[in-house]
Amino acid sequence: MKKSLLGLFFICSAFLNAQDTVKVATNMTPDQLAELDYNNGLAALKKNDPTTAVDMFTKALTAKPNFDKALANRAIAYTHLKKHAEAIKDINDAIKINPQNPDTYFNKGLIFFETNQKDSEQVALDYCLKLKPTHAEAAYYKGLAHYESNEPDKAITFYSQAITSNPQYVYAYNDRASVKRSKGDYAGAIADYEKALSIDGSLVFIHNNLGSAYRLNKNYTKAVEAYSAAYQKNPAYLTALINRGAANFESNNLKAAQTDFEDALKKDPDNSFCYNNLSSIALKNKDYKKAESMAKLAIDHDEKNGAAYYNRGIARQMLRDTDGSCADWKKALTLGVESAKAFINSSCE
Amino acid sequence: MKKLIYLLTFLALAFLLPAQTVEFEKDNFPGRKDELKAARKQLDIGIEFFMQGRREFDDFRRGFVSEFKYLPVSQYDYRKAGYKNFRDALSPLMEAQKFNPKNARLNYMLGFIWFISDPSNPETLKFFETVIKLDGEVEPDDYYWLAWAYHLNDKWDLAIQYYKVYLAHIQAKGKNPYEIDDVNKKIAECNVGKELSAKPERVFVDNLGSEVNTSWPDYGPSITADEETVIFTARRDNSTGGKRDDGDNGYYEDVYVSYKKNGKWQTSTQLSKNVNSDGHDAAAGLSPDGSKLYVYRHSGKDGGDLYESTLFGADWEAPVHMNKNINTRYHESSVSTSFDGKRLYFVSDKESGLGDRDIYYSDMDVKGEWGPAKNIGSMINTKYGEEAVFMHPDGVTMYFSSKGHNTMGGYDIFKTTLAPNGLWSKPVNLGYPINGPDDDVFFVVSGSGSRAYFASAKTGGFGDKDLYRITFLGPEKTPLLNSSDQLIAMRANPVSNLKVENEVEVKMAKVTILKGVVTDAKTNQPLESAIELVDNDKNVVIATFKSNSATGKYLVTLPSGKNYGLAVKRDGYLFHSENFNLPEGADYQEFTKDVALKKIEIGSIIVLKNIFFDFDKATIRPESANELERLIKLLNDNPTIKIELGSHTDSKGSDEYNMKLSDSRSNSVVSYLIGKGISASRLVAKGYGETKPIDTNDTDEGRQNNRRTEFKILEK
Repeated sequence: MKKSLLGLFFICSAFLNAQDTVKVATNMTPDQLAELDYNNGLAALKKNDPTTAVDMFTKALTAKPNFDKALANRAIAYTHLKKHAEAIKDINDAIKINPQNPDTYFNKGLIFFETNQKDSEQVALDYCLKLKPTHAEAAYYKGLAHYESNEPDKAITFYSQAITSNPQYVYAYNDRASVKRSKGDYAGAIADYEKALSIDGSLVFIHNNLGSAYRLNKNYTKAVEAYSAAYQKNPAYLTALINRGAANFESNNLKAAQTDFEDALKKDPDNSFCYNNLSSIALKNKDYKKAESMAKLAIDHDEKNGAAYYNRGIARQMLRDTDGSCADWKKALTLGVESAKAFINSSCE
Repeated sequence: MKKLIYLLTFLALAFLLPAQTVEFEKDNFPGRKDELKAARKQLDIGIEFFMQGRREFDDFRRGFVSEFKYLPVSQYDYRKAGYKNFRDALSPLMEAQKFNPKNARLNYMLGFIWFISDPSNPETLKFFETVIKLDGEVEPDDYYWLAWAYHLNDKWDLAIQYYKVYLAHIQAKGKNPYEIDDVNKKIAECNVGKELSAKPERVFVDNLGSEVNTSWPDYGPSITADEETVIFTARRDNSTGGKRDDGDNGYYEDVYVSYKKNGKWQTSTQLSKNVNSDGHDAAAGLSPDGSKLYVYRHSGKDGGDLYESTLFGADWEAPVHMNKNINTRYHESSVSTSFDGKRLYFVSDKESGLGDRDIYYSDMDVKGEWGPAKNIGSMINTKYGEEAVFMHPDGVTMYFSSKGHNTMGGYDIFKTTLAPNGLWSKPVNLGYPINGPDDDVFFVVSGSGSRAYFASAKTGGFGDKDLYRITFLGPEKTPLLNSSDQLIAMRANPVSNLKVENEVEVKMAKVTILKGVVTDAKTNQPLESAIELVDNDKNVVIATFKSNSATGKYLVTLPSGKNYGLAVKRDGYLFHSENFNLPEGADYQEFTKDVALKKIEIGSIIVLKNIFFDFDKATIRPESANELERLIKLLNDNPTIKIELGSHTDSKGSDEYNMKLSDSRSNSVVSYLIGKGISASRLVAKGYGETKPIDTNDTDEGRQNNRRTEFKILEK
């Protein structure tokens, strides 16, 4: 074999900081050259170097134009580079060469998902599932698409299909739980989150989601437990600590809530959420000056924190600063805090 | 059964109390005969005045029941009946009280007098409570007045308790149904008060301040829609004419105004004598735009009538008596107009009403006159009396005061809305603390609806009734927490889920990376240059490319185990050639070949490393063709240069042999070039033999380097 290859010449050239194109002369077989470039492209893709990957897949395709895998992978590289039109063209070319590959349709669906072309996404994922009904990921993304289209029942159906195809599909359990939660089915959500954690208990965000489901179900003891589990597994995951504070707040355990928010602030002194939540505690304690100052800090750290404007508006109203409170509620409304509208209507000019 | 329980409670309370009433008898005050005598004298004087007052009071009460078919529901309904006698009784009775504070009947009289003059005063409660402690049965209606005093002090449970004791008493005695109805109504009011005060409305109540209010009664505010002007009634010592009302000894009412500047109320002033007369002139309402003022005047014959004054410039014109559709021989008061001024709402106690005072409305006719008044209906008006109507500028919301509906005592303020079908909604009590057990009247709401103005005699004011502003805070506002979840597992990075096609197996040679930097030999600056790679085995150019223009770097991947020729060219420079083997080795190796290009200058020497000869001969091998072509191109591109072709050998063999061989080889190259069209005059052949080694001759590699053909620039 070595001898036969000794007669072959292969040259590929690339420049460090390349800015010139090199014509490569070779007397390797085109397929071999293409495969080599393909593998190099794949290696680059895995190293998160989509630019090099595109170059290598392109070389592979120059040598072997009907190389469907190179087309499929170049599409992925293009997607990483946000060159979605090029990606879709490659995917379509790959499908023309090999129309029976469900993964290619799946990728196509995801690229449309990425570009928010929901109808096309659905068509591609449907093709994928037609070719392979047990394609769990395709079912998962169908579920996700329906969830985001505010079709919770359909979302649950597809998430369930994904789970049937892959009973260990943790993310499908998590997402289905979240859909159930959005429907007010907190018990169902809790069951799914717990199932997900029984498969992979290391996923702190699912512990956190479980805590929030318990919180919505007004089971603050269990909520605090779940948030604590998330935080203990990853002490850098301040989301769980802040949410635990919120659960403590809602169960009127203001002292514990304050400790949580202050602990989170020690780790992240710029955390706007913590300042705002401390403002909420001050409001509960009718310490309106402190509430105002805490909300201000929250705004200073995140000028888009609508809740902070909302809370400062409450504090300012109680401090008899009507103009200030109305300005804050109007700002909160522009930032999406719909509940500010009622205050504006009832208390502002 | 209920009656029995209350009676037993009543008896038990009376029986269980340890204290006893102390009569003004000498046995109770041994050794204090003279003091007793003086006290009894004061007591007798006081009793005489009190009894006279009480007779007037009871007469008034009976007359009231006769007229309205119910007992007075507000303490103000008694209109201080018997007040003068009670006032005259107070001083002697207080003297007697100093001597003997433990006489139940005396405490009852003092409590009653206090109740008539200031029912919610703590002194009232103190005297009535003392009566209960001493002898509850001495004046059974003491329970009623005590309960009412508690009622007026927001002590709902105590009020209910004593009302029930009194209710049991009157039921046992078979008193008239009006009394029973009255006590039941007051118990109901306490229950409303208890309920509403448990869920107080969230409001700020702010005194309008000393610029508006005084120690005299200030009440009945009207406000312009923009809240910049408040017009109100006051009974101050600067009342126009300076007279006092015989009924209550207060100064006659005048209309006052205060303007807001820069957010602060300015000192209130009386309206001119156009509006204020020597008699009662009260602000009864203001049009939403502030251009018309309605004034209440009472001449003594007409029962109280309404007048309309128009703002002309900075002053109000003399009020004009409103027409007979509005004014009657009865009492008319309190006006409010619709936002378009086409409908007038007012209060009258004329006989056609549903009870005491009712709310009426009148529409303006085509001539601009107010048409016949119509009762607003039983959804609003009750038999107990309504007052202080205020139609909000929104055109659908009406505020009014009523002693009926679910009041918590006396007048309470209610809100009702007008449906498109012309029907009023069921009035809603505005709640506590806007309303209380006392009279709550004259309530006007700002155009924005977020504030209201009213008068109250609450503690903390500047004296008697003051004007206050209410700011509605709305329901308790729950603070908003920030929290976050990652509800969707993969939403953040769906691209990471793309299905990547697997690696393919490639049967490939081992490769070597050849890389290097091309620079200027003198300046060391990187150079962009053309690079040509030749497979010397096949004698074919396998690649041409350029070094990087910025860095001079180049990099190629080559199969190992082969011999290559490398030529680097750039205009203005002598080309550089290399000949090298890439040995078989590991799967991957790197080989660095930096190239320093020399500029075309006299004396510059370049080794032509890719010119090959047959062994021990001067025959040029075919694989030398590319190198020679480069040399020819150089000579053609630079037609003025003249070069020497020098050939060198290693030290193997004799010096003579080597000299001869080198001569032959240089001549072969020159002949080749001449054969390719290069002028012989530009070429000099020179054999150097082994005389100019550039490397050691002790190694193969050194000897190979010494075996070479060079060219040198002789002329340029």
